[in-house]
Amino acid sequence: MGLSAKGDSAVRGRIGRVVVLAAAVAFVAAACSSTEETSSSSTVAGGEGPRGGTLVAATDADPGQFNPAITTSGSVHTGAELIYNGLVELDEAQQPVPELAESWEVLEDGARYRFHLVEGVLWHDGTPFTSADVKFTFEEALLQYHSRTKSSLSGVLDRIETPDERTVEFVFNQPYAPLLQQLNVTEAPIIPKHIYEGTDIPNNDDANLRPVGTGPFVFESYTPGSEVTFTANLNYFKEGLPLLDRVVLRIIPEDANQVASLESGDIQWAFNVPGVEARRLDGSDEIDLLRTGNNPGGANCIMTVSYNLDRPVLADVRVRRAIALGLDQQRFLDNVLFGQGAVAEAPIHSGIPFAHDPDVAMPGYDPEEAGRLLDAAGWGRDGGGTRTSRGVPGVPDGTPLSIDFLYFPTFNDYAQLAAAELAEIGVDLRIGDTALERDPFVQRVFVDRDFDTNVISYCNGTDPEIGVRRMYVSSNINTNPFSNAAAYRNPDIDRLFDEARAEVDTAARTDLYRQISDILVEDLPYYWLVETTNVRGYRTSCSGFGPAGHFAEAASCS
Amino acid sequence: MSDSTPASATAEAGVGPALEGGAGPEPGVLRRLLRRPSGVVGCGLVALLVVVGVAAPWLAPRDPFAIDGPSLSPPSGRYPMGTDAFGRDLFSGIVFGARTSLLLTVLTSALVLVIGVAVGTLAGYRGGRVDDACMRVAEFFLVLPRFFLAIVVVALYGPGVERIGLVFGFTAWALLARVVRAEVLSLREREFVEAARAGGSGGWRIVVREILPNALPAALVYLGLLLGQVLLLEASLGFLGLSDPTAMSWGFLAGQAQPFLRVAWWMAVFPGAAILATVLGLNLTADALTEALGRRS
Amino acid sequence: MSGRYLAWRLFLVVPTVAGILVVGFVLVHLAPGDPVQALAGEHGDAEYYAFMRARFGLDQPLLAQFATFAANLLTGDFGRSFIQGRPAFDLVAERLPATLLLISASLALASVVGIALGIVAGSRPGGVRDLAVSGTTLALYAAPVFWIGQLVILLVAVPVGWLPVQGMTSPGSTSTGLAHALDVGRHLLLPALVLASQEVAAIARLTRTGLATELASDHVRTARAKGVAEWQVVGRHALRRALLPVVTVVGGRTGHLVAGTVVIETVFGWPGLGRLLVTSVGSGDRPVLLAIFAVAALAVVVVNLVTDLVYVRLDPRIRYR
Repeated sequence: MGLSAKGDSAVRGRIGRVVVLAAAVAFVAAACSSTEETSSSSTVAGGEGPRGGTLVAATDADPGQFNPAITTSGSVHTGAELIYNGLVELDEAQQPVPELAESWEVLEDGARYRFHLVEGVLWHDGTPFTSADVKFTFEEALLQYHSRTKSSLSGVLDRIETPDERTVEFVFNQPYAPLLQQLNVTEAPIIPKHIYEGTDIPNNDDANLRPVGTGPFVFESYTPGSEVTFTANLNYFKEGLPLLDRVVLRIIPEDANQVASLESGDIQWAFNVPGVEARRLDGSDEIDLLRTGNNPGGANCIMTVSYNLDRPVLADVRVRRAIALGLDQQRFLDNVLFGQGAVAEAPIHSGIPFAHDPDVAMPGYDPEEAGRLLDAAGWGRDGGGTRTSRGVPGVPDGTPLSIDFLYFPTFNDYAQLAAAELAEIGVDLRIGDTALERDPFVQRVFVDRDFDTNVISYCNGTDPEIGVRRMYVSSNINTNPFSNAAAYRNPDIDRLFDEARAEVDTAARTDLYRQISDILVEDLPYYWLVETTNVRGYRTSCSGFGPAGHFAEAASCS
Repeated sequence: MSDSTPASATAEAGVGPALEGGAGPEPGVLRRLLRRPSGVVGCGLVALLVVVGVAAPWLAPRDPFAIDGPSLSPPSGRYPMGTDAFGRDLFSGIVFGARTSLLLTVLTSALVLVIGVAVGTLAGYRGGRVDDACMRVAEFFLVLPRFFLAIVVVALYGPGVERIGLVFGFTAWALLARVVRAEVLSLREREFVEAARAGGSGGWRIVVREILPNALPAALVYLGLLLGQVLLLEASLGFLGLSDPTAMSWGFLAGQAQPFLRVAWWMAVFPGAAILATVLGLNLTADALTEALGRRS
Repeated sequence: MSGRYLAWRLFLVVPTVAGILVVGFVLVHLAPGDPVQALAGEHGDAEYYAFMRARFGLDQPLLAQFATFAANLLTGDFGRSFIQGRPAFDLVAERLPATLLLISASLALASVVGIALGIVAGSRPGGVRDLAVSGTTLALYAAPVFWIGQLVILLVAVPVGWLPVQGMTSPGSTSTGLAHALDVGRHLLLPALVLASQEVAAIARLTRTGLATELASDHVRTARAKGVAEWQVVGRHALRRALLPVVTVVGGRTGHLVAGTVVIETVFGWPGLGRLLVTSVGSGDRPVLLAIFAVAALAVVVVNLVTDLVYVRLDPRIRYR
């Protein structure tokens, strides 16, 4: 949704483009939500349902501290987001709806955003909330320590103005369209100036462990490694919310134990229901499942295999295509995800329907064809062993077709299945020493570029501009994590992405992304395996949940 | 004398005083070993491990990594120990796991023996400053928290059965060195050694010919207990998810089983039972050997 | 045993722990990967990482980093956790009581049960009870501790129902005082039992052997001849001598107890140091990792020292140079 500020045209036309574009995205995004199957409950202001009671929820990681403005850590956010608010909230269709800001205007074609804040919002300690808190949070916390905000805004945000206590304006030095997607409690939680001002915010342990926010629940107590308790904010600015009296966030590291506790009734909401249990619980009377494409890391994620195009072994598209043909997507869906998710039918996630082309010619699963392609590419074998090279450019004859495969340890199921399947077509996929935690993984893949293939959960976001473009444009081959890992360079693709970014007409954008997808499935710089889904579980006696963030804001239990 | 013994309860908390009789391991030891039920069972289990480990490629009905079975199916005729989420045959996995365990025990034994014997002999024979230095070093290695080291090494440097063997080998030689040193000390002044020296044999020849064979039984006892520890440690690391996914090991299988505990009990039960049987065999053999050597005081 | 020896051993504790920490520090810092990723998350750009690196001194050479680390250690400062941003020392201090509780409960259970079993077996060596106890303890000793935990959960906890298998307290409980203690106790039972199972074997077998030996000794025979009641023979005369090795075994097995704790805390979700270790190792949280390492090293060294001293105290036959 970015616009380049090229040339001059009528101001009205410019504003119109922004508005139309935003509306277009909203329209098509609303036409298909990113939740895939059963019920999803929305956060409705003025909630329905019985009041009172305690909700016990389970998460798998210890928060450690409760200031989500200085970190992107998922465990902190899970623990802290009930306490804070953002300027806006994103609804099921990922569109901004009012939260701390009751209305806003986009001015100067997206170079200035004016937000009008809700009247009478109080911090949990009774102090009134003002625009100064917003300015402080951005300038002293988010832009200093929150990696996503810092990297996306610091170049383009010029200043934040607070003309009065209820108005805040973001002034950019060029039009910046994605701002509204980055202002919810996950991306930009607002922290209290009167508590943090003048302190070293990340090291302010007192404040970070006894958080004061504006959110639906007030922090009560924290037992490290064990649980966090919250009580209802009786002065919450959203009418009629929250419905619950108390929320207990219990830390249960083993997902299977979360499910067991859910089934026994010890807890009523589990954040992490593993695939095999989800499959088992689908028909249950006592437990409902909420599926969402949202991760702490982003939305609409596809497990993607990257090919290091700088390696001679993978330079031949026939080899890349053969590897793709040798991987059975359905099997990954069945045996790794246990059906929770979908086969990737196109390079762009089905949760972005205007850019997702279900008819694009993906390779599919065909081991025989894979074998033929490998033979043609100079990798032959007698019998069933690993193939060796004969006349492959850049590779000495007799080299075995052995490539490494890097992955986070949590993705080791993908590695094992891939290795087993590729062994059948004569490719030796090395997965032994390549299970790497975040630091060494990022180091090897993006800094040293020392890998043949890897698997990454690339999250597309709600618009291809957010999470798709960065994988394919040649200008994004750098050392940043989760950039263009394949080092794919295709001027046509670069041009098409630029055009799609500047294009307003949705039909035209669809056509452009279709062209992009067609080229991508021909060139295969990556191979897209499965679209993943997070499954939350809750007892049917409770309802009104959201998928993350303010998940319990409108929840109630009978 | 009392630190981190991989203690069998029957051995004293230190392996101290020397054997009576100094002409080498008595030929009757093996017979005495096998006369006790614990010896028979122990040796039998250890022998089973060796046989299965060596003959794994022929014993296993399938490639343990082959993914062609039904997913998560309970034990049946075709798959006597069931299958995992990918449809891999657990029975073949157990069989090849025995092979990995065998490799691990051999690697660890070799390291521990080489370093332990070298240091112990050096310390005992030379005495004085050298002895002091060696024993201080040994004490330091005795105190290193082995499991923590293993976790740190595996988690930060990557998994691998050899890595576990190395960590264990380099930290567990200390007690063996003490054992060997004690033997050397007690035998140094013995008559037959004097006689050998008078007969013109060099220092090292005496060590190898006369002293080491006497230390061997005690070393074996220690080793038997230690190897049980190594296998249990490998299993724990696998359970924590720190196993090498390309080496089919019992610890790896145990780790795979954890998310499916309530859905597929066979994935957890069989690897654990295999470990239990093997470690039991090693412990029993060590116990029986101790008794056969007449160490009970 | 001289006071000089005692002083010397006490003095040695410091360099030993220091040596272990050096080993740990070197290992951790030589590991592949850039720690700044753990610190700063994955969405930053090069400038952000440089900023974070400088802020946390990660751009210094290894020796300089070690010097800073050592200097900070003297004030008990292990640095701030990369992940949680709080002092690593605080994190460890918070979790330590739970682990200490688990270990002490296990040791207590193991001692009581182990000695009891040992008496049962040793008072009539070779008998049926002896064989039964020996067999069970042998099996317990050889089984992986997590496996026992898993079996207990599957076979005992799930059917029985009221034995919790997760955490240290009931979710959302606000009880205090006695009710709280009971709640914790109820949650402690299974993990402590499972952790104790390994030690039970060792203690039972040692007690059994010692007891059997003592019961065959001269002064016991004398006591029996004098007509002293059997229970007094066992209790007063034989048991005291027989318990001597138990002390040393318990001390010597600290390393294994520590290892077992890590696993048991994972199986039962017990909020102690073991869990913290696993998560720190996985997330590359070096300060916390080293802090836990230090605690473990100190614990093992101190326990070894205490055990040695107690052993020497109790058994005058042993002499040290």
